Amino acid sequence: MLAMVIAAVPAAPLAQGGGREQLARGRAFWDQRLARSAIAALEAAARDKETAAEAHEVLGRIYTFKGWQQESVFPGWHDEPSCRTLALTELRAAVAAKPDLASAREALATAEKFAAADSVDPAAPRDEIKALDARIETARNPAVPIADLEAAIEARAKAQADPAPYFTGAQVLLDRGEADRAVVLAEHGRAASERFVGENLSAYQMAGKSQGAYNRGRATAADLIGWAAFLKKDYARAAASLGEAERLSRGQDFINQVHLAELARTTNQTEPAREHYLSALALTSGAPPQRQRATEALRTIQGGGQTPEPFDVWLERELTRRREERRTEALRSVVDHPLPGLALTTADGKPFDAAGLRGKVLLLNFFASW
Amino acid sequence: MPHLKTAYTKYQNDPGVAFVLVSIDDDDKRLQRYLAEMKFPFAVLRANKDEAQQKMGFDDLPATFYLDRDGIVRFEARGLESHGDSKERVSWYIEQLKR
Repeated sequence: MLAMVIAAVPAAPLAQGGGREQLARGRAFWDQRLARSAIAALEAAARDKETAAEAHEVLGRIYTFKGWQQESVFPGWHDEPSCRTLALTELRAAVAAKPDLASAREALATAEKFAAADSVDPAAPRDEIKALDARIETARNPAVPIADLEAAIEARAKAQADPAPYFTGAQVLLDRGEADRAVVLAEHGRAASERFVGENLSAYQMAGKSQGAYNRGRATAADLIGWAAFLKKDYARAAASLGEAERLSRGQDFINQVHLAELARTTNQTEPAREHYLSALALTSGAPPQRQRATEALRTIQGGGQTPEPFDVWLERELTRRREERRTEALRSVVDHPLPGLALTTADGKPFDAAGLRGKVLLLNFFASW
Repeated sequence: MPHLKTAYTKYQNDPGVAFVLVSIDDDDKRLQRYLAEMKFPFAVLRANKDEAQQKMGFDDLPATFYLDRDGIVRFEARGLESHGDSKERVSWYIEQLKR
């Protein structure tokens, strides 16, 4: 029997450990929604006859999710139609390898139903993750010990590898006056975001979208770290970090604009404070209480100067102007303008002058290999 | 990008039309591997990612611009969807500008 098992081990070397170990690793990675690592481990497990059926089944479940059920499950995620055939192939391989594997038959039936359906709803949030998120929310109550909050964050982060628990936790710690601990969590959150986006890169479909996801994680972390520095009266560090968040979010993040405004106000820079409050309020995001606070802060600033008209009239005019500017900016296009002066090089790095292409109808396609 | 290669077959002998790809990759090695794999039959240039996005005003890839003989940008197609995978779409833009 032992000899037979050894003979069955495929010629291709397994990356790490045998099929059992790879199967367990693959399942654990997928529970955390770390797709790339999960697929790599499961592909290794699928090469081991002993675990092939189970590995094909989990691969099939992953591709079913990616193909039909991941639209907007995380910000920027889209269904990957290229995974649909893979899902059916993997699940059929699972059933072929072990015809009595009931879970694989069920998964195959589901995938076949999805393949025939006009549309499939995205996967609902998992109950165990919702329960763990609720535990973090409970810890907003100052009566909950900090250690319990940190344990809740760790438990949630372990269950699913997205950065949300770290960022939420950092915010709770800031609200509770724990700036140093908040910085640690914000940094964990940034690292988690980088990994999570990288592990699920194909879910973003377009480079601009995955880049947007990376930038959101980086901007959130930078804003939290900057605000922690502000609370500790380290205004130089606050300015650097909040400014980085502004650059990454292209000035489109409500909280970040409010933070920049507060920093400017505290350091007696009235004009930048006014601008940041207005930028924040011109965005549609921001919860009503936060908008109310920003409006009141702005009213205080304006009260100091000579205002020939009521504050509300002034505010409405300023916000309308900013919203219109933003709209015009979004519509501004290079169409009907000469090609902007752009530093171009050849593929091997030599300068290239685009003027040499004049006189031809030109198709110019910007791409990246990622 | 294969559809660009397909579309190009119609214009490869037309001296009045040029196809140019501009990579905004940071990672040189990765780009070179990709180019070796794709074997594009037209020029591939490189630009700085941030500068290109800011000056050309795109935030999704691929972003395709069609310029007339005077170097004026006349059409813009962003992302894969609006571009379509069709060579007809590419031809349509080019034929408009060849008139």
